[in-house]
Amino acid sequence: MAKRPPISNRVKQLREAHDGMSQAALAKEIGVTRQTVIAIEQGRYSPSLESAFRIARVFGVGLEDVFSWDEAQDS
Amino acid sequence: MSFREKTAWGMGLILIVAGAWYFSKIVSVSSALGHTSPPDLRFFIGYVTLVVITSIIVNVVLAIMSGQEANAPVDEREKAILDKAGHWSGYVLAVGAFGGLWHFGWLGDGNLLFHIIFGALMLSQIAEYAFQIFLYRRGV
Repeated sequence: MAKRPPISNRVKQLREAHDGMSQAALAKEIGVTRQTVIAIEQGRYSPSLESAFRIARVFGVGLEDVFSWDEAQDS
Repeated sequence: MSFREKTAWGMGLILIVAGAWYFSKIVSVSSALGHTSPPDLRFFIGYVTLVVITSIIVNVVLAIMSGQEANAPVDEREKAILDKAGHWSGYVLAVGAFGGLWHFGWLGDGNLLFHIIFGALMLSQIAEYAFQIFLYRRGV
């Protein structure tokens, strides 16, 4: 129950590198709540493919520059 | 804490208090009668009125405190949480309903059947809010 998905992400690092973009601003850009951005950053929620692409587009990077499969957690 | 999590806390507490009030009345009447009390419309209306009025007050206060967040539509994560909590609470209702039917089959007490089914309905609603809070905190 509520097992964490084996997916890690660099959303927080990318956000901070993006002129210290706030969680609220990112949330507004991708159309979710700030709590959802917090949950994504903490690995408590894996976003939908659409939201994942939206996040990558906000930072101007590829999907795999934001999200990666965590082999250690998967095994 | 998000607006919807606060709402879940508020509604859960309202339902617990109202349910406790309702069943305290049923138990006291049943004790006085010496058998399971029949469904009493006064207590039922009292329960519904209590839940409706306090829900409106709590939701209005939380909406004022939360500002714009209260008007925001449900996002994908919140929808997943609401769907999962609703799904799990359905099992609580099913267990209560089967429990009531099982009792009726053994005891043939229609009044008890009513109270068990109504109690299961209350409990499943409380469980739904509890599951929502759990999923908001632990992740979905």
